[in-house]
Amino acid sequence: MNQTEVIAKLQTIFDTVFLEPVVLTPAISAKDVPEWDSLTHISLMVAVEKAFGVRFRVGEVETAKNIGEFADLIRKRQQEP
Amino acid sequence: MEISDLKALLISGNPDFWPKLAALTGQAHDFEELFLLSSWRKKARARNLARPGPEIPPLKLALLGGCSLYPLHELLAHLCEIQGTPVEVWLGDYDNYVAEIMDETSGLYAFAPNVVWLLPAEGRCQYSGALTDPRTVQQAEAVKTAESLLELARRVNTLTGAEVLLTNFRLPARHDLGAYRSHTLGADWTFRKWVNLELGLNAPAGVRICDLEFLAARLGGLRAADPRGWFETKQPGSPALLFELAREAAHLIAALKRAPKKVLVLDLDNTLWGGVVADDGLEGIELGDTSPRGEAFKAFQKYIASLKQRGVLLAVCSKNDHDKAVEPFEKHPEMVLRLTDIVNFKANWEPKSENIRRMAPELNLGLDSFVFVDDNPAEIDIVRQFAPEVTTLLLGPDSSEYVAQLQDCRLFEPGSITAEDAERTRQYQAEAGRQALAASVTDMDSYLASLAMEASISEFTVVDAPRLSQLINKSNQFNLTTRRRSEAEVLAVMNDPAWVGFSVRLKDRFGDHGLISIVIGRAVAGTLEIDTWLMSCRVLKRQVEETVLNELVRLARARGCHRLEGLYLPTAKNGMVRDFYGRMGLTLTAESDTRRVFELTLENFQPRPTRITLTRRAYEPN
Repeated sequence: MNQTEVIAKLQTIFDTVFLEPVVLTPAISAKDVPEWDSLTHISLMVAVEKAFGVRFRVGEVETAKNIGEFADLIRKRQQEP
Repeated sequence: MEISDLKALLISGNPDFWPKLAALTGQAHDFEELFLLSSWRKKARARNLARPGPEIPPLKLALLGGCSLYPLHELLAHLCEIQGTPVEVWLGDYDNYVAEIMDETSGLYAFAPNVVWLLPAEGRCQYSGALTDPRTVQQAEAVKTAESLLELARRVNTLTGAEVLLTNFRLPARHDLGAYRSHTLGADWTFRKWVNLELGLNAPAGVRICDLEFLAARLGGLRAADPRGWFETKQPGSPALLFELAREAAHLIAALKRAPKKVLVLDLDNTLWGGVVADDGLEGIELGDTSPRGEAFKAFQKYIASLKQRGVLLAVCSKNDHDKAVEPFEKHPEMVLRLTDIVNFKANWEPKSENIRRMAPELNLGLDSFVFVDDNPAEIDIVRQFAPEVTTLLLGPDSSEYVAQLQDCRLFEPGSITAEDAERTRQYQAEAGRQALAASVTDMDSYLASLAMEASISEFTVVDAPRLSQLINKSNQFNLTTRRRSEAEVLAVMNDPAWVGFSVRLKDRFGDHGLISIVIGRAVAGTLEIDTWLMSCRVLKRQVEETVLNELVRLARARGCHRLEGLYLPTAKNGMVRDFYGRMGLTLTAESDTRRVFELTLENFQPRPTRITLTRRAYEPN
């Protein structure tokens, strides 16, 4: 999966969790989306790990500054056996 | 109904959102689903989505703990609202619970909670010394750890009057220390177990244990653990564990307001036994220890009997002719439940909802204290529709799961301690004393005497024939001749006066072993030839052997025989009884590779003394 494909799949997860439609771009981040609070964040992370079959390492999700970096992190973890 | 439909209802502001939300919450089976539903509930609230029904005043719930209480409290608040016990939540600061409880000017006391849920810090439930310290020292620290937590719980209970839910400790699930972990109280594994026992056994009134040890074990220790969740946000466990923990706390909170159910209404056919008694007959229903299915139904009856012991009333509601329905209760040898166990017996052709409705005034109880179990979805549906106050439980499809279904239904959990329970406690104490006595006896005879064994010996009967044949055909080890017989052949033995055939049932004060031994003999010219002697190995050396020998001699004499002849036919599996007849005092008279023949002259035979009381002898119904 390339970054665009990962973001497209993330879009479907965001569509489930958020009430107000959010259009994901590599540059978008939590501070751009009012509904993206800490509660929603937990929902998102659990859903993402499940949907992509990945497990992030301790502390690394918060290092991703935007959706593009987050998608890259997912890709990195996807490449692990 | 899908989650996406629910979202559509929320966006369009449709009040149908609320019942659908409740339905989906009831079906939610993981953290993710429940959490999403919870966040939508909050969003619906924020949008002021109109809600049907009266507004219930919320319970004031304080959460305190040595871990992050977020998002745990979200799940709990959601479950509480959906189950009709909405809560207003006050959250303590992370790991500040000791100060919050000790300081009477803290926000906790200003909040004036009705319920306090305390989740103490796992990191402080750890033995501080060395693994090799004396056990008394380790134990004293465990007791002290528990006592200081109970003291906190007592204090907050006394000062606020709130019911306290005190969470105990999860056990580790890693191999650390290996087998040695069980040899010291200094290991987390043993230390926490000890603390948990102290907490539960010493919890005062007003303090209830939220059994995290149990919940994590049920889920699986590895699945319950989540070190990343701890390091990132101080979560007490994995999302899966949070889900279970929130459900447990919600259940405990609901139980504060709701009495346990009082009556268990039972269907009969394919619920208490396998098959349909009116079609299959008394002999045809599956019940008892000689078939796996029959054993499962018997186990279910035993569990139901244990509920009766706890004070649950048992009733029967069956679509049957009354006479047919009561027959197994009166005549079937493997029935655990008897008519005296049933407080209300309705077997007729009226709808079950009507029958249960009639039971309520007869027992002077509200319909909402009834639970109805049936294996038939149609019957469950009728009761749901026409007696909706009754809680229903659909059994199946596998009868081996019936016990588990009832054990997990959470409807008969004892609430608080009553005078009646205290009386029961005294009875248990007396029983514990008897068991301690048995454990302390050193010689075999006293042990056997302490078992209070009772045997019932019966000639072959038509009702027993299926069980007799099954045991004859599956018994391998304690089986002198391994001669197999079909049901028809068993009946042939029964109907031929030259043959004797009897079976033994044994019970002791720990329970009923059921049918455990079968003997077949044939009288030929003054000799009773023992054709078959088999026994279940689980009652080996309980003097059933002697009891059978005594009975054989008695029956031989009654038929004018003066001699017993025993035959051993070796197989790959019955080596354990190769010398059995010799041990019983018979003399070896002939031997080859394929057979050993023994005899016993009856003239001077004295019955062997045993510690088994006979309640019935063969061919002597009373």
